[in-house]
Amino acid sequence: MTPHSRYPLVASSVIVLLGTVTFAAEPDGAQLYKTKCASCHGPQGEGTKKYMARLEGDHSVAKLADIIQKTMPESAPGTLDDKESKAIAEYIYQAFYSRIARERNRPARIELARLTVRQYRNTIADVVGSFRAPTRIGNERGLKAEYFKGRRMRPQERVEQRIDPNIGFQFGTNAPIPDKLDPAEFCIRWTGALLVEHTGEYEFTLRTEHAARLWLNDMRKPLIDAWVKSGNDTEYRETIYLVAGRAYALQVEYTKAKQGVDDSNKNKAKPKPVASSMTLLWKLPHRSREIVPTRNLAPTSASEVYVCGVPFPADDKSYGWERGTTVSKEWDEATTEAAIDAANYIVANIDELTGIRRGGRRPNSGLGNPSQINLDGNKDEPVAKDRAAKFQAFALSFAERAYRHPLTAEQKAAIERQFTPTRDDETNLKRALLLVLKSPHFLYREVGASAESYEVAARLSFGLWDSIPDAELLSAAARGQLASPEQIARQAERMLADPRARVKLRDFLLSWLKLDEGHDLAKDTKKFPGFTEEIISDLRTSIELFLHDVVWSESSDYRQLLLSDELLLNGRLAKFYGVDLPAEADFTRVKVDAGKRAGVLTHPYLMTTFAHAGESSPIHRGVFLARGVLGLALRPPPEAVAPLAPDLHPDLTTRERVNLQTRPAQCMTCHGVINPLGFTLEQFDAVGRFRDQEKGKPIDATGTYQTRSGKVVQVNGARELAKFLASSDEAHAAFVEQMFHALVQQPVRAYGATTQAELQRKFTDSGYNMRKLAVEILTTAAPRSRQANAGR
Amino acid sequence: MPFVSNRREFIRDLGLSSASLPFILNLPSLGFANQTRRKQRLVIMFSPNGVIPDNFWPKEEGETFTLKEILRPLEPFQKQMLVLHGLCDKVRGDGDNHMRGMGCLLTGIELFPGNIQGGSHTPAGWASGLSIDQEIKNFLQKDPATRTRFGSLEFGVMVPDRADTWTRMCYAGPNKPIAPIDDPYQMFAKLYGKTKDRALLASVLDEVTEDLKKVSATVSAEDRRLLEEHTTFVRDMERDLKSTATTIEHAVPTLDPGVKRENDRMPQITKMQIDLLVNSFVSDFARVATLQITNSVGQPKMRWLGINEGHHELSHEPDSNAKAVEKLTKINTWYCEQFAYLAKRLAETPEPGGAGSLLDNTLLVWTNELGKGNSHTLDNIPFVLVGGGLDFKMGRSLKFRRLPHNRLLLSLAHGFGHRIDRFGNPDFCTQGPLNLS
Repeated sequence: MTPHSRYPLVASSVIVLLGTVTFAAEPDGAQLYKTKCASCHGPQGEGTKKYMARLEGDHSVAKLADIIQKTMPESAPGTLDDKESKAIAEYIYQAFYSRIARERNRPARIELARLTVRQYRNTIADVVGSFRAPTRIGNERGLKAEYFKGRRMRPQERVEQRIDPNIGFQFGTNAPIPDKLDPAEFCIRWTGALLVEHTGEYEFTLRTEHAARLWLNDMRKPLIDAWVKSGNDTEYRETIYLVAGRAYALQVEYTKAKQGVDDSNKNKAKPKPVASSMTLLWKLPHRSREIVPTRNLAPTSASEVYVCGVPFPADDKSYGWERGTTVSKEWDEATTEAAIDAANYIVANIDELTGIRRGGRRPNSGLGNPSQINLDGNKDEPVAKDRAAKFQAFALSFAERAYRHPLTAEQKAAIERQFTPTRDDETNLKRALLLVLKSPHFLYREVGASAESYEVAARLSFGLWDSIPDAELLSAAARGQLASPEQIARQAERMLADPRARVKLRDFLLSWLKLDEGHDLAKDTKKFPGFTEEIISDLRTSIELFLHDVVWSESSDYRQLLLSDELLLNGRLAKFYGVDLPAEADFTRVKVDAGKRAGVLTHPYLMTTFAHAGESSPIHRGVFLARGVLGLALRPPPEAVAPLAPDLHPDLTTRERVNLQTRPAQCMTCHGVINPLGFTLEQFDAVGRFRDQEKGKPIDATGTYQTRSGKVVQVNGARELAKFLASSDEAHAAFVEQMFHALVQQPVRAYGATTQAELQRKFTDSGYNMRKLAVEILTTAAPRSRQANAGR
Repeated sequence: MPFVSNRREFIRDLGLSSASLPFILNLPSLGFANQTRRKQRLVIMFSPNGVIPDNFWPKEEGETFTLKEILRPLEPFQKQMLVLHGLCDKVRGDGDNHMRGMGCLLTGIELFPGNIQGGSHTPAGWASGLSIDQEIKNFLQKDPATRTRFGSLEFGVMVPDRADTWTRMCYAGPNKPIAPIDDPYQMFAKLYGKTKDRALLASVLDEVTEDLKKVSATVSAEDRRLLEEHTTFVRDMERDLKSTATTIEHAVPTLDPGVKRENDRMPQITKMQIDLLVNSFVSDFARVATLQITNSVGQPKMRWLGINEGHHELSHEPDSNAKAVEKLTKINTWYCEQFAYLAKRLAETPEPGGAGSLLDNTLLVWTNELGKGNSHTLDNIPFVLVGGGLDFKMGRSLKFRRLPHNRLLLSLAHGFGHRIDRFGNPDFCTQGPLNLS
């Protein structure tokens, strides 16, 4: 746990870390144990021939000290003094005696895991989606736009078709196409797909003085229906839960015309022109409202996605990665809710999913608007004769895809048992679906016997997509083509092109940067005027786009994350950070601050995250560098301490204040490492602007780091820090380890003592190629089953 | 029951109208102890396009009156019936009479300006206030003693799949129209879906437990702990579901399967909706319901009555067209039969846990957006009331002199003990609620 997750970064409650208290005069428990106890009890308390019993139990330290004091060493009890006994007790308690220590010392193993929440949502979406046409998104961005004369969207009245980059139009009193449309009466339809990169609750807004409606994903019912203009409302808002790494069908219609009875013949006088505008905005979780950007729109069609929005309890992330290794009553109930929701959705859409009836779901652009499509009355449409058989076949395929392998005879029989002619077809189907969705074969990874090749396929797909194998992987599994490392690597490379893989790698990088937790980034408005919610939101977009650019660039070079001297800025950010860009500019790469920037390390979003409301925080930055980038295991702070208030020391720089507060020896155990790392970023203030002075004094951005091999590295400023980290063995190891855990969700140590080092060597050999590292990780982990591991 | 400080508050909290006051005060046995509040209910049924006044309104005023042809299906309920002639929808402003007739019928307030153009007048949007059914629902839901699962249910029959001023009668607030549910299967799912789903789930949990057991046998001892923990949760759920399974079976009605939402199935759909409505009252899912049959300007073709023209089209025919008058009389009689069926079902159903029938505790209101189809008048809006729910003095034909219908809306609220002094446009409320007791 980072100090930041424990303590919110708010000025009034910010905490600094204190080291554990150690006094030179105290006896050394480890040393004493070694000399006085180990000969009988063994170096790790494992016992010896002389004394077989393992040193483990539930006594407290005080009790242990008492026992030691009175009975040990056996040859000369009472020869240890109080302090010595206590030191030994403390040492063995921490090292191996206590329950926690035993747990820590347990050899790593691949644990049985259920689907994580993320995997659950993806899996259910993809199982249902596998019965629909796959959505393919090309490189073109924007939306298909059709402009119509008059009040209805009749094909013969369409005067223009084009791609619009987004929906953000101020028509004024004019027509959008002056020579072809009457400014008083026209309508527009935009169609395409919405590309979603984050899972969560989205808020959509239609802003117009006239009438408009929005369909998203579900094409039968508008998400926002403001087709009746009524009163003075000009903003219409709805929220919808969306899952990342997917494209959702989207349609927006706008009309400036009246509806209802056509009285244009009665009113000869031309109405006075009124202004009009049409804007489609969205608000992502933790972001500010913005026009849906072009990069999230594609002018292509998309199949409906089944979205499971049932709330689940959060997964355990105490090891730094999400693990499905615990269950709870709440989780079990959530899986029930979700199973019922999914079964109802499937039954409601079964004719389309089984192909009994063509889904009239997507309004065919140009053939009238969705409300005119007759979607009613599927109740007693001529019933397909083989309906019952089709339902059963569907249930079997559904189970196969949900279980990620061909069904055993027993599993097949269990599904077939749900189908009896005494109940109606829908009830039979629903029973079968509920059975599948509550089954451990669906909810858990790798349970029950199935061919190894299918397990490899599933490990690959969960590793890169957090979801089930696609048709191609399943086919490779069926043909036994997931046997060699080359075959697995080839699949992994192919799979990286999928948006779900992009989401997974992006989320890993955000967690590597400790940006995956919600931070309150609001700053002191007096000190940082203009640092608005919008700026914070743009900064988040900027860092995510930067990560994306580097990972998906040709070289995918990890070092570029640290060494790039460019920032991605839009017009709004450029203005705040003193860069010359047009106000409306979209995100562009800009070289700023005369080459003093160092990739993510000095990215204003990161600098802002690891800062107080009014001042930078070398401690938070140092902890981030030590724990995240260098992978050091710092102990959590033993005690919460508020930072020295800057007002009390008006003459001191931030660096001086931090030094003053952490000067005591007991602080320096950890702060001796943390502070000198954090100080190197002092040239960037609490909102990430470059500075060379603070309080009239030049910034001292020098720092040091002692590597684990004992070498002391001198660093001055962010650039030197970045160069050091880019070539640091420790940083590489931390990156490899964290990526492994993020993708595989099992401890890397469970895959053999040398696996991590091996991966790191390959990472170095590849020129620090992050995509290749992902492929290597999967090539290593995918063939390894839990069962094989258990037998080791 | 909340602490009540005096008799008046007690009566107010009981939700009884002033009409029942003497009744209560004269009954010493109705003490505070063991008093559960009587369940009062309201149903508003709508049919469109005005009526044929000559075949609708009784000539007489008072307790002795003869039912004309259209109202004759209500003969069995004549003693429990109030016919209110002379109430007018006086709301003006944007929108044509169909639109205002519909949008102001239960709201009593103007429509917002908007983009929906009617056959005449200026275009309009939605109503600028909530409807009386929602006002009463909100009142009942505020109080734990009258709160129900849904509060109100909005039923429809053959309402076009189109949201505009002509298709919406109920409003949760200004610009907040409520879409009626006109698919009985959808309404069924809303009322009983969760219960049915849980029952279905219970039937497969045995197999799930079996499956977990088998899987547990194949994993290591360390991993087995996780599955065993999971199994206890599944068992707990199975036990919980089984204990409620029997009660579930009793409460859930059955629907005829496969009834398509199309014109000729309208009688069947109407009956299904009415049956569901009555059932939802038995289960106390709601105390307020609306039943909107088609919409303003509705065009059903009542071929089952031998009428092949659409209703709205026919309603424009002049009074001189005897054939049209005859057909419109038949159409309205059919609507009255539906209303009478609703009354009959409620009368036959005993009040669960109480005295009398559901009808004794329910007020039914049948209304229309127009007084007369071919004149599009908003005067003499049909209001026929049946049932004892609000303790009005029933068995009468009353004739008012062009009073604003807002006053009736006020009476409905007051009948629930919700003593508001204005509803909708306050200009039409100055005289307070109608005295119907």
